[in-house]
Amino acid sequence: MGEVIVVTSGKGGVGKTTTSANIGTGLAAVGHKVVLVDTDIGLRNLDVVMGLENRIVYDIVDVTSGNCRLKQALIKDKRFENLYLLPAAQTKDKSAVNQDQMRALAQELKNEYDYAIIDCPAGIEQGFRNAIAGADRAIVVTTPEVSAVRDADRIIGLLEAADLRNPRLIINRIRPAMVKRGDMMDISDIMDILAIDLIGVVPDDESIVISTNRGEPAVIDSSSHAGEAYRRITRRIQGEEVPLMNLDAPDGFVDKVKRFFGMH
Amino acid sequence: MIEHIALKGTRDGLVLYLDPEAEFSVLMDELQKLLSDSEQFLQGAAVRCYGGDRNFAIEEKEELGQALTQYGLTLAGWLTAEQVYTPIQNSNSVNIESEKARVWDEDMVEGPCLFVERTLRSGASIQFEGHVVVLGDVNPGAEIIATGNIAVMGSLRGVAHAGATGERKATVSAYHLAPTQLRIADVVARSPEGTEDWRGPEIAKIKDNQLMVDGLQIIGIRGKGR
Repeated sequence: MGEVIVVTSGKGGVGKTTTSANIGTGLAAVGHKVVLVDTDIGLRNLDVVMGLENRIVYDIVDVTSGNCRLKQALIKDKRFENLYLLPAAQTKDKSAVNQDQMRALAQELKNEYDYAIIDCPAGIEQGFRNAIAGADRAIVVTTPEVSAVRDADRIIGLLEAADLRNPRLIINRIRPAMVKRGDMMDISDIMDILAIDLIGVVPDDESIVISTNRGEPAVIDSSSHAGEAYRRITRRIQGEEVPLMNLDAPDGFVDKVKRFFGMH
Repeated sequence: MIEHIALKGTRDGLVLYLDPEAEFSVLMDELQKLLSDSEQFLQGAAVRCYGGDRNFAIEEKEELGQALTQYGLTLAGWLTAEQVYTPIQNSNSVNIESEKARVWDEDMVEGPCLFVERTLRSGASIQFEGHVVVLGDVNPGAEIIATGNIAVMGSLRGVAHAGATGERKATVSAYHLAPTQLRIADVVARSPEGTEDWRGPEIAKIKDNQLMVDGLQIIGIRGKGR
């Protein structure tokens, strides 16, 4: 029996889709059977980030409304054959699916896969309710901004109300140099408010923009700083104890140059 | 409607109070009504009557006695004003006085209280007639509105409104008091900029029409950082 993990945040643009793609790919890279589910109906992105958009025939609405079988809608990843994507519909809206259908879908996926990673839409309305309906665990993504932390706090409250206890936190796009100068919230500022288990801190990294545009998750790029952070998160999801990455690099550029020489 | 008579249980048995101002026929009507409603419950009890300074005629007393007998009650006698009021009034007033003195002496407030045994996150709202105690944090975006006092065992970063129905003596206290906005009765205040650092447990109250924050002098945790 697999596990259904929803990736959510409340606020948009904090990196839910990127996180979903990287966690899913990371888990598949170490041999798990993984399915990524995009529940952002009407604003689908996960397929683009995975570089699979040109292979979509059926989508999640086709599955839940019975237009096709689940197997027909699942797209096999181009890098890992144990990784699949169930894309969102682009021409419908969030009301095209309901919570019961999502629960049934999650159950079906759990029987077949080790992990189902659900990419949740922004907001706290029906799209969010659908996405969390069938989930066993939740990962909350936030960035070191007051607005994102506020929304994450609200989301944690809603997850708890929906009986998704002990959600885990990913702090995305942290810039150590800015934190050092006191211009950005640091990890302890965020933890003071949210007070949930931290499962990873991902540094702000240009390579994420590049890999996202190319449709290649950073987690498989061994030279990517953010990719390393996602690899550690992947291991923690499997229950390993992994120390947090050292973020106290003097600054992003020098660090990159150092790693460049270290690698080659 | 039963307005002119009342049947009350005391330590020494039942006492029937009769309104001295009311017509005797009205009293009898109401008595019939009262007794027919509670016949079962009163079977066999002895009742003493009290009619204030009114002197009932012998016939009236007899009629009253008959009415009581009819419902299985016995008229055990008449009480004087002294018997009814003096002993009770005395003991009561003594109690109230000592109670008041105790509360006032030791800075105590009583009343209904709601315990919130978790952290209130953004979007949560608590409204309560009485005091509210939170065993956790109150995060930004959460609010508590209480007619009494508010005490937060963790960090208060959201909005707190104590004495919401106008109680100006209400207080807001927290282990870490850094609210988005603080209201007591009709006084509203914001935390001054740059005061988020922990200074120890604090209490806010109204002084001279302004919200003032004082450190709570608790010796056990004084001087210790987090």
